[in-house]
Amino acid sequence: MSDKPTTAEANASAPNAGTTPNATTAEANASASNATTASARQTPVIDGAKLVRERRLNNAKKNWSLFRSDIPALVGAIVLVFFILIAIFAPLIAPASMLDVTKQLDVPRYAPPSFAHPLGTDDLGRELWIRILWGARVSILVGVAATVMSMVIGTVMGLAAGHFGGFFGAIVMRIIDFFIVLPSLLLAIVLSSVLERGVFTIVVAIGLTSWASTARIVRSQTLSVESRLYIERARILGAGHRHILFKHMLPAVMPLVLANTTLTVGSAIIAESTLSFLGLGDTSKESWGTILKNSMDISAATSGYWWYVLTPGIAILLVVLAFTMVGRAFEAIINPALRSR
Amino acid sequence: MTTPTHSYPGPAGGPGGGDPAGGPGGADPGAPDLLGPGQPRDMDEPPKGGSFLGYLLRKLGGALTSMILVVVLGFFAFRMLPGDPVLKIAKERPMSPAQIAELRSQYGLDKPVIVQFWDYLVGIFTGDLGESYVYRKPVSALIVDYLGPTLLLTATAAVIAIGLGLWLGQLSAWRRNSLFDKVASSTSLVFWSVPTFWLGLILLMIFGGTLQWLPTGGMITPGLDPWSFAGIIDVIKHLILPVITMVAVVYAQFLMVMRASLIEEMSEDYLTTARAKGLTEDEVRKKHAVPNALLPTVTVVFMHIGGLIAGAVTVEAVFSWPGLGKLTFEAISGPDLPLLQGTFVVFSAIIIVMNLAADIVYRFLDPRVRRA
Amino acid sequence: MTDLSFDKVSITYRSASARGDVVAVSDISLDLPTGATLGIAGESGSGKSTLIMSVLRLLPKSAQIDGQVRLGGNDIKDLSFGEIRAVRWAQASIVFQGALHSLNPVREVGGQIIEALEHHAKGTWTNPAKRRDRMFELLREVDLDPSKAVAYPHELSGGQKQRIMIAMALACEPDIIIADEPTTALDVIVQKQILQGLAKLVAERGISLLMISHDLAVLSAVCENLAIMRFGKLVEYGPSDRVCLDPAEDYTKQLAGAFPQIGDPESRMNPRTLKPAEVRRAEPFTKTSEVVLEAKNLNVSFDTRQGRERAVRNVNLALHKAEILAVVGQSGSGKTTLARSLLGLQEVDPGSQMEFAGKALPRKAKALRTFRRQVQMILQDPSGSLNPKRSVYEAVVEGLRVQKITDDEYARVVGALEAAELTPAADYLESIPQELSGGQRQRVVIAGALALDPQVLIADEPVASLDASVRGEILSLFLALKKNLGMSALIITHDLGLAWNIADTVAVMKKGEIVEYGDVDTVLANPQHAYTQELLAAVPRLGSQSLVRNE
Repeated sequence: MSDKPTTAEANASAPNAGTTPNATTAEANASASNATTASARQTPVIDGAKLVRERRLNNAKKNWSLFRSDIPALVGAIVLVFFILIAIFAPLIAPASMLDVTKQLDVPRYAPPSFAHPLGTDDLGRELWIRILWGARVSILVGVAATVMSMVIGTVMGLAAGHFGGFFGAIVMRIIDFFIVLPSLLLAIVLSSVLERGVFTIVVAIGLTSWASTARIVRSQTLSVESRLYIERARILGAGHRHILFKHMLPAVMPLVLANTTLTVGSAIIAESTLSFLGLGDTSKESWGTILKNSMDISAATSGYWWYVLTPGIAILLVVLAFTMVGRAFEAIINPALRSR
Repeated sequence: MTTPTHSYPGPAGGPGGGDPAGGPGGADPGAPDLLGPGQPRDMDEPPKGGSFLGYLLRKLGGALTSMILVVVLGFFAFRMLPGDPVLKIAKERPMSPAQIAELRSQYGLDKPVIVQFWDYLVGIFTGDLGESYVYRKPVSALIVDYLGPTLLLTATAAVIAIGLGLWLGQLSAWRRNSLFDKVASSTSLVFWSVPTFWLGLILLMIFGGTLQWLPTGGMITPGLDPWSFAGIIDVIKHLILPVITMVAVVYAQFLMVMRASLIEEMSEDYLTTARAKGLTEDEVRKKHAVPNALLPTVTVVFMHIGGLIAGAVTVEAVFSWPGLGKLTFEAISGPDLPLLQGTFVVFSAIIIVMNLAADIVYRFLDPRVRRA
Repeated sequence: MTDLSFDKVSITYRSASARGDVVAVSDISLDLPTGATLGIAGESGSGKSTLIMSVLRLLPKSAQIDGQVRLGGNDIKDLSFGEIRAVRWAQASIVFQGALHSLNPVREVGGQIIEALEHHAKGTWTNPAKRRDRMFELLREVDLDPSKAVAYPHELSGGQKQRIMIAMALACEPDIIIADEPTTALDVIVQKQILQGLAKLVAERGISLLMISHDLAVLSAVCENLAIMRFGKLVEYGPSDRVCLDPAEDYTKQLAGAFPQIGDPESRMNPRTLKPAEVRRAEPFTKTSEVVLEAKNLNVSFDTRQGRERAVRNVNLALHKAEILAVVGQSGSGKTTLARSLLGLQEVDPGSQMEFAGKALPRKAKALRTFRRQVQMILQDPSGSLNPKRSVYEAVVEGLRVQKITDDEYARVVGALEAAELTPAADYLESIPQELSGGQRQRVVIAGALALDPQVLIADEPVASLDASVRGEILSLFLALKKNLGMSALIITHDLGLAWNIADTVAVMKKGEIVEYGDVDTVLANPQHAYTQELLAAVPRLGSQSLVRNE
């Protein structure tokens, strides 16, 4: 069993192989063990596990070369890596004390960008570049966490609506419809204004309200898989809901969900900044939306403090655009029909 | 928010998430038996679809369910989730115990939950949404005052965004990979990646602050009569920046969807039939491809109506546009929960009604029986 | 009048991708003089569609045409875009596959016919009223009621849509009609009507007809001359009787052999194939009198918009051990519903009795699961029946795992694959469906069913989606399974030839009812019911333009 695919390979090929990384590895192990133990007593020896591994590796190579040929996606990936690194290492690059207002008394307020103050300073004399650095932590964390929540709900609801017919399916469909019709921003405002302020609330507010479009995509994919003959065949073999959902449906919708995840992180980051801007964020934590909220509070836009408005927004734009580019590339890899676009 | 790249529905998608959209030709009641005498009925001919009335009732039922959910959600979110809404308010602003007790009885919090819910329901149906804490005025009166400007702003933005998005989208698709397509597609991706309010701030900074071409906030210069000629011009001036902000963010989604669905249509067989009949490329596009591509696009456009209207919250906050969005913003900063509850219910009601209207319009656009 | 000729035509799709240029058609020379009828037969990928699309210059820009395609003496390459537009439809028109998406789904069909007239007024249909009259006249000619003009495509049946396509093709009085698989996806009886109608209209007007199809019998039933194409090359060309009944090339023989001649004793219980399945038992099983699966007074109803509709009416059937029973009927006859009911996949009306080995079919989920070990079903399309992401091993083992049969899994899988004649089985275990041919995929599906050691196989159109040359292989496999394992099979099909090839008994279904039921030899040789007679008459026979002549 030394020749089982590494998790990294399985991960890399996951979008195309269409299984969750865990399922892929588990299944590969299962079938590999069968094939290898059996081929030991068979002549001629056909190494089935090796074939599988080669196919996975080839898939990963093909996908990587597709991704690499997509210049915007590659640039997006680099931008993402950059922002994730600065978010992780913010405490090392600029310790939190550098944002303590009481220690910035000698720094000029409203200093425009210069060599001494690369991105300028704010109304309390804090360096904007440090605020952006620390803001990246909350913005990206909230974006990712809310997306994960939204994806889980969306996938479960979409699978349920697509797979189960009858009364139950109709009820689920009605709920999805409700969340599609009502914009997530409105619902998120309601949720975050009645719950305790805090990062967790923002995550829940975004995650709980933004899953409908994912559910819709998952549902339509589920319906299209549901109509395939291999599902009917599984039923004829005697399979129940659990077998069909976990062995056929989930692997079929997973690549779509993964690509969608990347695209949704962007939306979630925008949603976070919007909620913070409306004053629903956690004021004790830096986030790009909070910085913009502060700039709005002192009318920076109409008072000539352009850097105060511009820099956080550009940070948001860059990260969201990067997530979008990478997500689109994933989508194109999954769905060859999109490639020509 | 959905992404513009993949949210187009398949050709089998219907409005409102692909409900079975009823059958075709139901609009002409009592359609005569189309078969002449003596001709055997083709047994394989698909059955006629349901009536328009049935479709209408189904959609009305759906809208009603959504409305009930909104009303129930409004109650539970604002009365149940915060624990004690009065304490929540008291936490944010200093209040004496007497004030707290007064608020309690004003909100009816001393009554049992079921009575509270009943009072709330009665209130909604009689137009009584409680009293705003900040304004000290009935919420319904405030909403009536602020409704008009919001409708003006969102309707203007919607019309422009839909027109612009669809027109640019079909041009982009037809000239796929041309310079025009690349510029149009990448611009819309950038606009899509920008928070609405930030774009508003930037526009405000450039055209209101630095250049001082346009007013920075409000709907009309104080003292002007809005129905005079000068007043109308003034309102239009105030309208320009908020509308551009809303359009910029929304049209991009419509462009991407229109482009994707037209590209999808472009490989269809009936276009080959049209070409074989001797039509020019322009005729093929205008008469065959675009009408078909419009249908999936329209459903996505309808789905985004809600997002567009909700966008008013941040845009109105940035431009101090005296509408429901600004009211919502003020209710959040209050915090003024009765007011927020009222704007939530009214915003939702507007969106649900718009969607219902869209579903009915769609029925007339698409003759096919659609089942998702 | 206009002649059409292909002179050393080669068509290459140029591509920047790694695969490089693809030659779709190479060095084809064919003539279609005025008033002639020519059929081009070939399996998928033979280049026949590319060839005919070149006539009206409808190929994508990446296609490069060498040689000359001459229409009325002009090389179509020399025409300007305006000239070619004038030629399109006025001189040569195309009957596309109407059953698919060749009609604009959101426009009324009458308007789509009128659109052609608007572009080629020819001084005849100069105003809207005249065009309308002409459109109604065309609908009458193709036996459609004029009221169908305001119908949308989705409101019409496949046959009606095909008639609309023919009316549209005739609209501008063209000299040549090109028919692209005009009857694929239609039932035999509708196919006969369409082909007869088309042939008659073409003959009356002296129009030349160029028709392509994968079905040699269809072409030979209508066309005087036949060309056989394979891999872009011309294999054989000649008068259709000669090509069909006395083919010179092996490939043509194979194609012609795939269509059994009902009544021909040589093909009875003997599907023709180059790779027959092996019969290993010295004394092969034959049909016994022991009943395995039985339906008594079976009724199935569905709720539709029009109220309750009965899809299966009062069906009585008995399947014996080692019997192959063919249920034959057109689409919509309820035969698939019948099969699903026998498997317990379909809710049946009260009063229906279904028994397996003398016991009523279980209704509870768990008991049904056990029951399915005994009765397995093969679905129509092998490509769709296999999850594209799962290997052959996983596909075959799925039933075992679902049924929680855990002992000796590997041996069972290999055994099943070998019983389905996919050998050596070990070579295929880790392949994914895309790496297999259509016939191999069907074998994997059959192996998946065999892995459970069922007593009964129910197969829904098991060869309908396979290329003609593979059909015989799979049919001979069914026959071998019966002979080797004593397995019973119920095969759902629209194809009477299949029944003739392998079945012991045949049941003919019409609108949910079994109208005739008995031994294949008796029923097909001497049909009693009018519907069976009609079905038999509609089967196109090889050679001699049968459908055109025996009217």
